[in-house]
Amino acid sequence: MKSLIDKSILTVRREGLYCPAGDFYIDPKGRVENALITHAHSDHARAGHKNYLCSDSSRELLRIRIGKDGVLESLPFGKSQKIRDVYVSFHPAGHILGSAQIRIELKGMVWVVSGDYKPQPDRTSEPFELIKCHRFISECTFGLPVYKWQPEEVIHKEINNWWKKNKEDGKISLLFAYSLGKAQRVLAGLDPSLGIVYAHNAVHSFLNAYKNAGVELPEVKKVEKQKDYNGSIILAPPAVEDSSWTKNFRGARRGFASGWMAIRGPRKRKNVDRGFVLSDHADWSGLIDVITGTGAEKIMMTHGNGESISRYLTEKGIKTEVLADSVFQREEME
Amino acid sequence: MKEFAKLFHDLDQSTKTNDRIELLVNYFSTANEDDSIWVCWFLSGNRIKGAIKTGELRLFSSERSGLPLWLIEESHDRVGDLAETISLLIGKKRKSQSISLNKLITEYVEPMISLNLDGRREMIFKIWDLLTEYELLPFHKLLTGGFRMGVSKGNLCKALARVGNVESSLIAQKIAGDWSPRNLSLAEILDPVDQEERFCKPFPFCLAHPLQEDVKKLGDVGDWQVEWKWDGIRAQLINRAGSGMIWSRGDESVGHSFPEILEAGKWLPGDLCLDGEILAWGKEGLRSFSRLQKRLGRKEPGPTILKREPVRFQAYDILRLNGEDLRRKTLEERRQIMEEVMSSLPNDFPIGLSDQVRENDWAQLSMIREESRKRGVEGFMLKKKDSIYQAGRVKGAWYKWKIDPFVADMVVVSAQLGHGKRSNLYSDYTLAVWDEKELVSVAKAYSGLTDDEIEKVDRYVRKNITGKFGPVRSVRPGLVFEIAFEGARGSSRHKSGVALRFPRINRWRKDKDIKEADSLETIRGYAGMVDEIELKDGIKVDNEGNLMLF
Repeated sequence: MKSLIDKSILTVRREGLYCPAGDFYIDPKGRVENALITHAHSDHARAGHKNYLCSDSSRELLRIRIGKDGVLESLPFGKSQKIRDVYVSFHPAGHILGSAQIRIELKGMVWVVSGDYKPQPDRTSEPFELIKCHRFISECTFGLPVYKWQPEEVIHKEINNWWKKNKEDGKISLLFAYSLGKAQRVLAGLDPSLGIVYAHNAVHSFLNAYKNAGVELPEVKKVEKQKDYNGSIILAPPAVEDSSWTKNFRGARRGFASGWMAIRGPRKRKNVDRGFVLSDHADWSGLIDVITGTGAEKIMMTHGNGESISRYLTEKGIKTEVLADSVFQREEME
Repeated sequence: MKEFAKLFHDLDQSTKTNDRIELLVNYFSTANEDDSIWVCWFLSGNRIKGAIKTGELRLFSSERSGLPLWLIEESHDRVGDLAETISLLIGKKRKSQSISLNKLITEYVEPMISLNLDGRREMIFKIWDLLTEYELLPFHKLLTGGFRMGVSKGNLCKALARVGNVESSLIAQKIAGDWSPRNLSLAEILDPVDQEERFCKPFPFCLAHPLQEDVKKLGDVGDWQVEWKWDGIRAQLINRAGSGMIWSRGDESVGHSFPEILEAGKWLPGDLCLDGEILAWGKEGLRSFSRLQKRLGRKEPGPTILKREPVRFQAYDILRLNGEDLRRKTLEERRQIMEEVMSSLPNDFPIGLSDQVRENDWAQLSMIREESRKRGVEGFMLKKKDSIYQAGRVKGAWYKWKIDPFVADMVVVSAQLGHGKRSNLYSDYTLAVWDEKELVSVAKAYSGLTDDEIEKVDRYVRKNITGKFGPVRSVRPGLVFEIAFEGARGSSRHKSGVALRFPRINRWRKDKDIKEADSLETIRGYAGMVDEIELKDGIKVDNEGNLMLF
């Protein structure tokens, strides 16, 4: 009986996770009828579906991401909504503004799809909520114990000190950070008394949504050509790192903010002057705490180093399964 | 330890050579000398041997962190560097006070050499308690011996030279070879007037650039001294008050392996330094490099091997005579002095003079160069007659005009994580060719791909791992590389019975299927197996064939 319920709650299809009892997908690829979206990052929220459902605070960001087409509805965090046979609700995942875990209930059986999450505090995102469930589908991007995050205050201080030093040396600080979420998190920690803050358009386009959600950010100017940027800090998405766009900032000191910077190999290959270990995913102990905290009987792993954490949990007596890797790719941009 | 840790992290983060030198200058001018002499020693390529095995370090960090050993291995696989992995895994709860580097090494690390497993565990745990989080990585780096930090010996010398306001070649001489912080102080290293010391140490070697343009662009052939490029071990032979020394390019004293050369050196004038090549050399003349290998790594060769595998020091430059430094004289002048000194040596003397090849034009030389393989040499050395003897790879003075390498298409059959910048990428490959219907390994290659290609190969490897053998991952055959190499010899290390000399990746043959890779027969035929040789310990030579370590 239980396995029958299991199969009607979630299965893996080519497009991604699918709920047969509710006839919807979660963060699907391709073109589907009904898509529930955990958060507005491009590897989770894609244009081309017919109907979208997300959290209220994700709504504005998702609209920017998917463009004009598609019917977009949203729910406040915690509010339960019946979709066909299942009850669905969104709960804060702490990953970026509006990011949600999706809780699905059918006949007393509760599944939670984590999306991307972090239990560590982040002043630009709603705090993570731990939900008790029977099945927990967890991301595990940083599923190795070498990943250990410092509190964000420590990293913010590092970034400000770096900026200050560069300014004293008459240099531009060019800091690369993923344009949605990470960049705003960096901005929120900047000390505006140090100088002028600029951002690439890709970062800038999301700022209003953050302000509307009540997140406090410093004044951020758009980058224009032929300006003197010495002493200022410029936030830009990693995608423009090697492009002609950066030519405006000759001699700039380069930084990169990402959880991947925790290890020297990737940090060196990035060829930046500084790596800041600032992640929007759970670190190893974050993953273990959340996974054991849900009380789930079985954990399913997506997105990342599933094999190691799965074996570790199995040895601790927790049932696990690693979901097909081809459907869930590793987070390259973080 | 605090200052050392700061230096380590600063060096680690800087990408420019000048910045690194600046950091070193700063460190050596301000740090306590008891500590900084150790840093100097480590950066000169030394390490503390036998304090701990890496397996024990893994075990202890597993015990300390409460994580299973396999998870330490998995983490190592991701991070690539053991020192870094362990530093990340050893959690630090409280901030502790620091300890000096000198004290750490002399009172904690060195005593570990004579302790048993439990003693070493206790000591490591004690050290972990002592150090701050910031100090863990530098400590583990020097413990595991991977302490280089992108600082070459040359740059270390440059930095010290600036601190002491002395010539960097002088520093290079002082920190060459065997020394320890117990018998050499920083003040002594920086002392410009310690003459006696200088006479026993080698000069920094002058190195050649590969010739990459048309040889005719070098101008008049008469401006150049042309010699055969010997396939041996680069070395300096020093004679000082009747006692001799031989120094390899890795600044190792290797005289004990070649007693007949040392003995013969006594017959040369005193206070002399010759630059040349150690070669396997029998009555018939030059022998192959593989014959020379039988003499390498033997500290005191017995009479049988001395007789069966004779060697010769082939001199091609003179750097000092009767205490006078000749390096500022032109090559032409030095050659003349050398020929006078060595004019009356007997034929079977184990020290000889490297002949010049004299022709009137480059075309003629090109033709003679084709004989290189038959003669057992690697091509020509071209040296500008009016050049002085400079340290390092100086443009325009010395060129190696090598014969084209052999090439063959090979299949990647296993891979291993690289080092440094490539520490978490599968960038070291074992390559195989077809023996009937089986792929047999013949070479290992590390260099030759672009960073972009390495990332792509890494992705392929990770998706196609078929087995784990320690750090080695066997890989489903699918990648074909064109490999260049200088020759082949018998080997018991590779299943094929053949090992290639200086294999490196020419290019990635994406257009080729693995079925199109070359066969073992082709490789054998190509190289013409010289003679069989079995060596248990691999000899370390750099990619130019210079012996780096004994």
